[in-house]
Amino acid sequence: MGVRSGAEDEEHFRRVYAATFEPLLAYALRRVEQPADAADIVAETFLVAWRRRREIPADGEARLWLYGVARRVLANHHRGDVRRERLGQRLRQRLTSFSIDPAAEVPERLAVRAALARLSELDREVLLLTVWEGLEPRETAQVLGVSAAAVRTRLSRARARLRELVGDDPVRPGHVLDVLTAPVPEEGR
Amino acid sequence: MIDDQLHDADPYRPEIIGHLDGADQTLLEEIMSADRMPAPWRRRLIAPIAAAAALIGVLAVSAVVRHERPETHEAVRPAPTTSSQWSALILRAAEQNPRLLIQEPGWKITTVYGFTENTGTMRFTKGDRELEINWYPAAQYQGYYTHRLDVSKPEPGRVDGIDGSIFTYSASDFAIMLKPNDDTFAELRTGGKWTRSAFDQELTKIKRVDVQTWLTAMPLEIVTPGRADEAAAKVLEGVPLPPKFDRSALNAVGTNDPYQFGAAVAARVGCGWIVEWQRAKQAGDQAASKKAADALRGSHQWKFLQQMTKDGAYPTVFWETADQIAAGTLPVGYRDALGCP
Repeated sequence: MGVRSGAEDEEHFRRVYAATFEPLLAYALRRVEQPADAADIVAETFLVAWRRRREIPADGEARLWLYGVARRVLANHHRGDVRRERLGQRLRQRLTSFSIDPAAEVPERLAVRAALARLSELDREVLLLTVWEGLEPRETAQVLGVSAAAVRTRLSRARARLRELVGDDPVRPGHVLDVLTAPVPEEGR
Repeated sequence: MIDDQLHDADPYRPEIIGHLDGADQTLLEEIMSADRMPAPWRRRLIAPIAAAAALIGVLAVSAVVRHERPETHEAVRPAPTTSSQWSALILRAAEQNPRLLIQEPGWKITTVYGFTENTGTMRFTKGDRELEINWYPAAQYQGYYTHRLDVSKPEPGRVDGIDGSIFTYSASDFAIMLKPNDDTFAELRTGGKWTRSAFDQELTKIKRVDVQTWLTAMPLEIVTPGRADEAAAKVLEGVPLPPKFDRSALNAVGTNDPYQFGAAVAARVGCGWIVEWQRAKQAGDQAASKKAADALRGSHQWKFLQQMTKDGAYPTVFWETADQIAAGTLPVGYRDALGCP
């Protein structure tokens, strides 16, 4: 990593933020129950990144680095350690202002998600980073801090296991974020 | 096949990006400008820098940063050595800030930081509404103003006789930027559910007060200079201090809420241990470097850091940095990450 000046670090952070906000939001929304929690994860991840902006790698690698940060933030979140209330308030409002139409949820999708929940954490992450985030094994390996060979092995095992579980799992209806309906605009005055 | 099914089960809907209404930009601004790092002068420069960079290029901006730093950062001035010198310094800082208070029952001051320089933040909360006041050096007024013109068309407004411009972020989110008064200018921005008429109404209740009234208005949990010694003693209980640690320097951090005060203390203790760790490493003093590494590793047990986790990310960053050093690696940019003085 080359040495950047303070002003360059800030410009780099802005660029990285603009380029990675959506992938990070998607990453968070895919891994939490409530959209408001995704706002917390995104805010916390970028706040950590801002504090460590000197360490953010060059543009191409920044997204992977941020997934790694988000993964740790998410782990804290699952332990109940993240309670951000001050940052990301507007993002939280926007994300929660979407309503969900449960009737539109397709049972097959729910079966897949239920099966995913039964995989081990690392197997699930390998699969999701590959299919949902669209990462190559080398990139997945970088996010998870394991070798690319290990990712390939896990990937084929996770696929086989998921196939098995989806086949076994009975279809269950549920309330999962899926179809977005337009929010009602707020009264202006 | 299973990949197709999995792909189809992806809960993310890209349409959501089109419905954010600028919330992503607001978060960026919050992170870069309202970040809770105990070195406000640095982040206060960011918005005008961003605005100016487009016009005059990065080289000229770097010159602005170099030019601004000695004027605004107290740490580069000779440190006062007596408490009366500290008081004089704080008093001067309080004189420079706008000292705006909401003169209406029910508003509580929930966040305070800055005050040793001509930048600072105060947040007032009442029910589900917030009003945040930030102030900046008067010299940066034009840069901020130009930046805010991207938000909306300005409309005239006024706070206690000071003229300003009202900017509309959304139907429930407004700000007023006041014209410079002495060394600073203030910007007030809403948080939570507001209407324009409620905002206009609230602006009539905000008054500029004298230094004494302003300091007295701080709630008990806010660490004012007069309460710094007591607060420091409490925070530092059970915390190992690095060699040559100067407790009296904690009087120089101004007026802060407990989170900001905690961050200022942690930065001084943590950075002190890091300096000691580096020195010991270089000198080949294994006992001392182990002692410093142990102190940093032990920061997970510092009560005040544990308490701060509910309010922000500072402890997370502190512990990550401390753990890396305890494991033998000095992370690049640790000074920025911790806010070393």
